Amino acid sequence: MTDKKRFFILLGLLAASLALLYYLNSNAQNILLG
Amino acid sequence: MSRKFYRRGSHVLLALIILINGYIIVLPFAPSIWYWWQAKSNTTSDGKPLSVKEASAKAAKEEPEAFHADMSHDGLVIPRMMLDTPLVEGPEKDSFNLLNKGAWRLPFASTPDKGGNTVIAGHRFSYTGPRGIFYYMNQLRAGDEIGLWYKGKLYLYSVASSRTVKATEVSVQQPTDDARLTLYTCTPLWNPTDRLVIVATPKGNM
Repeated sequence: MTDKKRFFILLGLLAASLALLYYLNSNAQNILLG
Repeated sequence: MSRKFYRRGSHVLLALIILINGYIIVLPFAPSIWYWWQAKSNTTSDGKPLSVKEASAKAAKEEPEAFHADMSHDGLVIPRMMLDTPLVEGPEKDSFNLLNKGAWRLPFASTPDKGGNTVIAGHRFSYTGPRGIFYYMNQLRAGDEIGLWYKGKLYLYSVASSRTVKATEVSVQQPTDDARLTLYTCTPLWNPTDRLVIVATPKGNM
């Protein structure tokens, strides 16, 4: 794997991790029933 | 860009990924350490939690009755959870802000002085506020004492049941003929798709 390819894969994984963190935090804030 | 840039950049990205995912996995456990540490100084010699009166007296800078006589000092006291938090009220549209200020009494639910079903919601865990007021709600056991200061009067309740329901289960907040206090929060910690519901019955009023 080239350095460039690895860099962009890791960039994608970082974006996915941040999206997961945002999703989990948003879920935790939404407490109302229904 | 040079090959050196991509190589160094990869190292930085990998470190950030490990850091963020570690934060996601570990942070939900962090408040448990605080609970374990604090529990030692908030229990009686035989390991039982303090009573509501003892806990209120310990937390208050003045006499609890005098402090809570001011109606802006309504609050919820749960010794088992080492909780002494303001009771906040307001419309559902403001729930996001209200829940960050304390335990929110649902506006359409009853109040302790009227009987019926008084429903209070609170945050359990979020990544921006790990130790939500109801984080330790899973520690509550049947018979545990709950105190609710409402309009200057202390209402005492005893935990009757604890259960987990789906987030769509609105029946827990419906009016009831009997007087009760319903507390609910999110569960599980990581991806809270369910609600942890505690129902408590009156012990007698002060």
